Amino acid sequence: MSQAVVTGLNGLSYAFILFLLAAGFSLTFGVMGVLNLAHGALYMLGAYIGMQVIASVHQFWLAVVVAAIALAIIGYALYWFFLKKLYNRVPEQGVLTIGLALIIANVVMWIWGPRAHSMMSPHGLTGVVHIGSLGFPVYRLFVVGIGVLVLALLWYMQDRTRVGAIIRAGMDNKDMTVSLGINYGLVSTFVFLLGMALAGVAGVIGAPITGAYPSMGDNLLLLTLIVVVVGGTGYIQGTMLGALVIGLLDTFGKAYIPRVALFFAWVVFLAILLLRPSGLIGRKVF
Amino acid sequence: MAPLLETNGLSVHFGGLAAVRSVNLAIEPGERLALIGPNGAGKTTFFNLLTGQLKPSSGKVFFKGQDITHASVFSRTHMGMSRSFQITSLFPLQSVMVNAMIGLQGVEKSRYGFYRPMFKDKDLVKAAQELLESQELWDLRDEIVGSLAYGQQRKLEIGLSLASQPELLLLDEPSCGLTMVESADITKRIKALGSKITVLMIAHDMDLVFGVADRVVLLHYGEIACEGTCEEIRQNAMVREIYMGSRKQLGGK
Amino acid sequence: MSRRFPAANMQNAAAVFVIAVIVLLLPLFLPTHWSSLVAKMMIYGLFATSLNIIWGYANIPSFGHAAFFGAGAYSAAILVLKLGITSFWLGLLFAIVVSAAIAAILGIPAFRVFGVGAGAVNPIYFLLATIAFGELLSKLAITIRPVTGGSTGMSGVPRAHLGFGSAINEEQFYYLVFGIGIVCLFLMYRILHSHYGYALRGIHDNEKRMQALGYNTWLYKYTSWIVAGVFGGIAGVLFCYFGSTVMPNNFAMATSDISFLLVILGGTTVFFGPLVGSIFYVGIEYVASIYLQERWPLIFGAIIVIAIMATPWSKDRYKGLGPGVLLLWQWLCRVVPRLWGRKPAQSVPTGKGV
Repeated sequence: MSQAVVTGLNGLSYAFILFLLAAGFSLTFGVMGVLNLAHGALYMLGAYIGMQVIASVHQFWLAVVVAAIALAIIGYALYWFFLKKLYNRVPEQGVLTIGLALIIANVVMWIWGPRAHSMMSPHGLTGVVHIGSLGFPVYRLFVVGIGVLVLALLWYMQDRTRVGAIIRAGMDNKDMTVSLGINYGLVSTFVFLLGMALAGVAGVIGAPITGAYPSMGDNLLLLTLIVVVVGGTGYIQGTMLGALVIGLLDTFGKAYIPRVALFFAWVVFLAILLLRPSGLIGRKVF
Repeated sequence: MAPLLETNGLSVHFGGLAAVRSVNLAIEPGERLALIGPNGAGKTTFFNLLTGQLKPSSGKVFFKGQDITHASVFSRTHMGMSRSFQITSLFPLQSVMVNAMIGLQGVEKSRYGFYRPMFKDKDLVKAAQELLESQELWDLRDEIVGSLAYGQQRKLEIGLSLASQPELLLLDEPSCGLTMVESADITKRIKALGSKITVLMIAHDMDLVFGVADRVVLLHYGEIACEGTCEEIRQNAMVREIYMGSRKQLGGK
Repeated sequence: MSRRFPAANMQNAAAVFVIAVIVLLLPLFLPTHWSSLVAKMMIYGLFATSLNIIWGYANIPSFGHAAFFGAGAYSAAILVLKLGITSFWLGLLFAIVVSAAIAAILGIPAFRVFGVGAGAVNPIYFLLATIAFGELLSKLAITIRPVTGGSTGMSGVPRAHLGFGSAINEEQFYYLVFGIGIVCLFLMYRILHSHYGYALRGIHDNEKRMQALGYNTWLYKYTSWIVAGVFGGIAGVLFCYFGSTVMPNNFAMATSDISFLLVILGGTTVFFGPLVGSIFYVGIEYVASIYLQERWPLIFGAIIVIAIMATPWSKDRYKGLGPGVLLLWQWLCRVVPRLWGRKPAQSVPTGKGV
C-alpha cells in the first residue's frame, strides 16, 4: 500500500511533465496547425541547456528561464525556416520534424556525448519529506507544484483572457478570425513560443528525475501523442486529464506489470481514437 | 408515367440554419428541368442531397421508384444518376485521356481490373476516344488536365458526367464562368442530349435556362418559391421580385 | 495510339532491361560485401515502392509502414526459429498471409474511423493512428517474449532453404532477392497501370469526383493498403534473411522513417522513384558507416530535411530524384544516337503519363 502511494507520487510528477509537453504540443498544433514531432527532441534539448547553465552558474531558476527562452527562439527559428513553408501540409510537417528531431538528438550527442548525465536536484529541493511512515522525495512534490502552477496559468489564460478567446476562435475558424481584424498572427506566434518554452521548462525540471540523455525525448514524444489524443485538444483540462491517465498508467504499469505497460498505453490510444476521437474532454477540432 | 426522381419533404439544416426546407419535387423521364434562384438559395445543397454527398435531416429521395435516401454516392451513380460540379472537379494531374478513361470505367466491372494494363483495354480506349471526340477534346488527349484552359476543363467536366451514360444528369451551373460563345456552345450540347437523358440543371444564365428547360423551378431560401414553364416564369411577378435588378436579363430574348 | 510500340516506351524498356542485366551480373564482378549492399538497396527499394502504392499513388500518407515490414520479418523468423519450418517459400507464404491479415485488421479502423482523403476529419488522426500501429506491434513484440524473443528480438535466422539442395550461400541469396524483387516490382507495376491503379490516381487527385463517377473509394483505399502491406511484408522477409536477425525496431518509427524518406527522396511521380531513393540512401548509409558512423542520425535527419524542403512538389506529388534520372535517360537517348549521326527516335505521346 505504502509503495503504491509513493508510486502514485512518481506517477503524478511524471504526469505533470507529460502535461507540460502535451500542452505545448497541442497549443502549437491548435493555433499554428503545426504537427511538431520534434517536440520530444526539443524537450531533450531543453534539459541539456538547463544542465549546462546549472553546471556553469549553479542557478536552477536561471536554468529554467534560459532553457525556456532558448527553446522559444530555436522553436521559432525552426518554424520560420522550415515549417512556415509547409503550411497546411500535415504529413510533410511530420516528416520534416522527424528529420529535425534526429538532427537535434545527434547534435546534442555530439556536444555533450552519448552518455546519460545525471542532474542534481536544486538546493533546498533535495531530500525526502516523511509523512507518517512514507517518504516522499521533495523534488517530485516540487515538480507537481510547478505543474499545478502552469496548469492554473494556462487555464486562466484559456478562460479569462482575450488571448484565450482568440485562440478558441482561431481553432474554430482560422480564416474567419483573421478576417475579423484580430491580429491572429501575433497571438498565434505568442502561443507557439509559449508552447516551445513549456517544452524547455519540462526538460529542465524533468532532467533531475530521469537524467539527461540524447534519446530521452523519443519515448516521451510518443507518450505525448498519446496524451494529446486521449485528452483531446482545445481544452487545457482535457490535456491534464490525458496526462494524468497516461502518466499514472505508465508509472503503475512499469512498477507492477513492466513488460505490458508500454503496450497498454497504445491500446488505450487506439481505443480512444476509435471510440472517442475528440478525446476525453475536447472538441473535434484537432 | 412514374417520375424518375422524386423528393419528399426533403430538408437539411446546418446547426440552426435550414438550407433546404421541405422540398417536394418530381422529375418526369426525359424532362429538362432548370433550378434557378439567387445565391445562397440552397440549389447546390439540394443537388448534394440528391447525389448523396450530403445526408438529409429529414425527408426522402426516390429514384426510379426506389428509396435512395441513405444510398452512397457511388451506388447512386450505378443506378443511373450522374452529376457535374459547379467548381470544376477533374483529375488535374492526369492527362485528358486518363480522365476520360477513369470516368468511363466508373460503372464498368473492369474498374476493379487488377492486372491488365488500362491502356491495353481496347474497348475502353475506343469509348474514351468517342467521348473525347464528342467534346472536341481528342486532340488534347495528352495534355495534363490542370494545364487546360478553363473552357476546355468545363467541357471535360460535362464529358465526365456523361461518361457513365446516366439516365438522370444533374448539371451544376454548366456554363459558369464561360464566355458567351462557350456558353452558347454548352447550351447547344445540352439541347442535343437525347431524350433518354433526363436533365436537372442549376443555372444562373437565363439564356441557358430558357433555351433548354421544359420547366423551371425557383428556389428561394431553401424552398420552392414557384415553378412553371419558361413563359410562366418569365411573366411571374415573384420571380421578378426575387431577381430584382436582373429584369433585363429575364425580359430578354 | 497509332503505333504499337512507341519509341519512348522502347527506350524505357531498354533502360529497365539494361539495368536489370547489370544488376544480375554484378556479383560476378563485385566482392560479396558490395553485392550485399546492392541486395540491401533492392530490399529497401521494394519496401519503399510498396509504401509508394499508397502514399504516392492513392495519397494515403502512412507513418507506420514498418508495421508490415516487421510483420513479414517476424513471421518468417518465427516460422524458422520457433516452429522449425525451414522452407523459405513457406516462410514467404506465411509472411504474406500474416501481413495481409494485419493490414486488413488495421485498415478497418484506419479507413472507417479515422479516414483519409474526402470526408476525413483531419489527416492528423490517420497519421497518429499509423504511428500507433507500428509502435503497438513493436511493443507487442517486446511483450510476448516466448514467441518473439522480447526486446532483443531473434538472431540466428539460418540461410534460406529453397526446397532443393542445401541452404543457399550469400551469392545465391543475392539472386533470390533479385528474383523476388523483380517479380514484386513487376506485379506492382502492373497493378499500378491497371484499371485499379488508375483509379488510385483518380482518388489521389479528386476523391469526391471518383465517388460521383461510381467508384467505391473506401474499398480502393482499403485494398491498396492491404496490397502495400503485403509487398512491405515481403520486403520484411527478405530483410530478415538478409540480416539474419529480427528486432522490435523492425516495426517501429525508426524503420518507417526509412520507408517514407525513400519515397520522398525518389519522388512519387514515377514508379521507380523510391528505388532510386533507395540506391541513393543505402549508398550514403554505407559511406557514412565507414567514415561518420557516429554522425549517421544527423546525416539521416539532414537528408530528410533536404528531401522535404528542396524537392519541389506540386499538388501532393513529390518530384524527387526519380524524374531527374528519367530526364537524364531521355536526354541520353536524344544525344547518344546523334554521336553516331543517327536521327533520334521521336517520342510518341501516348496519354499514359507516368
